[in-house]
Amino acid sequence: MSVKYIPVQWNPNKYIYDAVMLLGVGLFLYIFLYAAPGILSHERPINPQVHNARAFGACAFMMLTVILCIGPLARLDPRFLPLLYNRRHFGVMTVFVAMTHAGYIVDWYFAFSSSNKYEALLFANTSYGQLAGFPFEAFGIFALFTLILLAATSHDFWMKFLSPPVWKRIHYLIYPAYLSVVAHVSLGILQDQQNHAFTVIFIGGAAAVGVLHLMAALKERRADRALAAEAAEWVPVCDVSEMKDGFAKIKLLANGERVAVYLNDGKLSAISNACAHQNGPLGEGRIIDCLVTCPWHGFQYDVTSGRSPAPFTEKIPTYNLKTEGTRVLVDARANRPGTYVEPVPVPGGVAS
Amino acid sequence: MNEAEAILMGLRIWGSIGAVVAAIFLTVGMDRIDEDAQGAYVFRPLLIPGVLVIWPLVLWRWYLYESGREHWARRYGPPRRAHFAVGWILPIGICLIILSGLTLRQTWPADIVPVQLSGPAEVRQ
Repeated sequence: MSVKYIPVQWNPNKYIYDAVMLLGVGLFLYIFLYAAPGILSHERPINPQVHNARAFGACAFMMLTVILCIGPLARLDPRFLPLLYNRRHFGVMTVFVAMTHAGYIVDWYFAFSSSNKYEALLFANTSYGQLAGFPFEAFGIFALFTLILLAATSHDFWMKFLSPPVWKRIHYLIYPAYLSVVAHVSLGILQDQQNHAFTVIFIGGAAAVGVLHLMAALKERRADRALAAEAAEWVPVCDVSEMKDGFAKIKLLANGERVAVYLNDGKLSAISNACAHQNGPLGEGRIIDCLVTCPWHGFQYDVTSGRSPAPFTEKIPTYNLKTEGTRVLVDARANRPGTYVEPVPVPGGVAS
Repeated sequence: MNEAEAILMGLRIWGSIGAVVAAIFLTVGMDRIDEDAQGAYVFRPLLIPGVLVIWPLVLWRWYLYESGREHWARRYGPPRRAHFAVGWILPIGICLIILSGLTLRQTWPADIVPVQLSGPAEVRQ
């Protein structure tokens, strides 16, 4: 969250996050290069170029696996949200590790061709019609290009310029990229792996990604069914007695929008559940001093106006509310981002 | 020109057009459409790789902002339903791919004669 764009947003928490990440990468490479090189079949006579290529490739796979586990873990249990906070730096670092792996590969296996080494990479194996001996390099190239695209569009400018939904759709490419990496490993090094420690790490990591995504999707589906509302001009949200001061009730409208209805100092306010930054779930955040903080990256909004506190300029839509008895109803038509709405007093101060 | 040369040539052309778009957009365009970019210059070189890759989308979004056709409501509809599809496709895809890899895997004792699976690779003339 910044007033003007800067190259990289760092703060003490991000320094710690990045330091732990770099330490992890260093440790992984040390173990695979020096402490236990046999894990990558290094007991066989290979040169340092191949040695390094395998270690960096394995490291990139593990980093990508961890990155992809963070999202579903945070959806399953909010205690993992701090890991989500700086995942962007994790992703950019993964690209550099993957590029190092690709560099070692191209500069060894294809550098001694009579033609350009990148051309050699593309035409060295063109057996696309068969699974045995399939040119697994193609999967690696696709995954690397995708990772570069995602890293190159990771700056906050891109989120604002492309809009969070478009940006998110582009970044969903991480899933085909991961499947591509799994294919790259399965049809590549797995075919030749003699020490099965890495085979176990690989299958375990990929299985964790698959299972966690399935669990998170099923949980989200159940929650969405409970939140879904019928199409109506005024949509019932809940009974006032169900609300807790400083927290929200989320409602999924018939048009797919999500509204977060807050109780704040005995008054009700409603804003879009989608943060202007990455469309994070604002309704899962808590109000402090009339400001709700997005649980993903800490962006803040006044719940009465949908505006970030000055000097920040982010705005989100607000919604009109009314009460009927102790029932809270929200107008399904959103107000323009940043529109102030007078908070609605709770009838009889029923809520806790 | 073989296919590999054509692919690389295509990438060079794509990148060259992207470089022109980046030069114009990062010096002129972004100040016109984003108030947070005005007076901020140090971060702009970081955007060059992104423009090189997705320059057609950059031009399209720039047009939407300049023409006032960018509708605010579209910014607040995250594609959350895709999570459900991903939740199924990812584990099924991972299982199928790894099983294929393990099924294909060959052990190669010294007494088995190697079999060439495909013809010799294309060689540049």
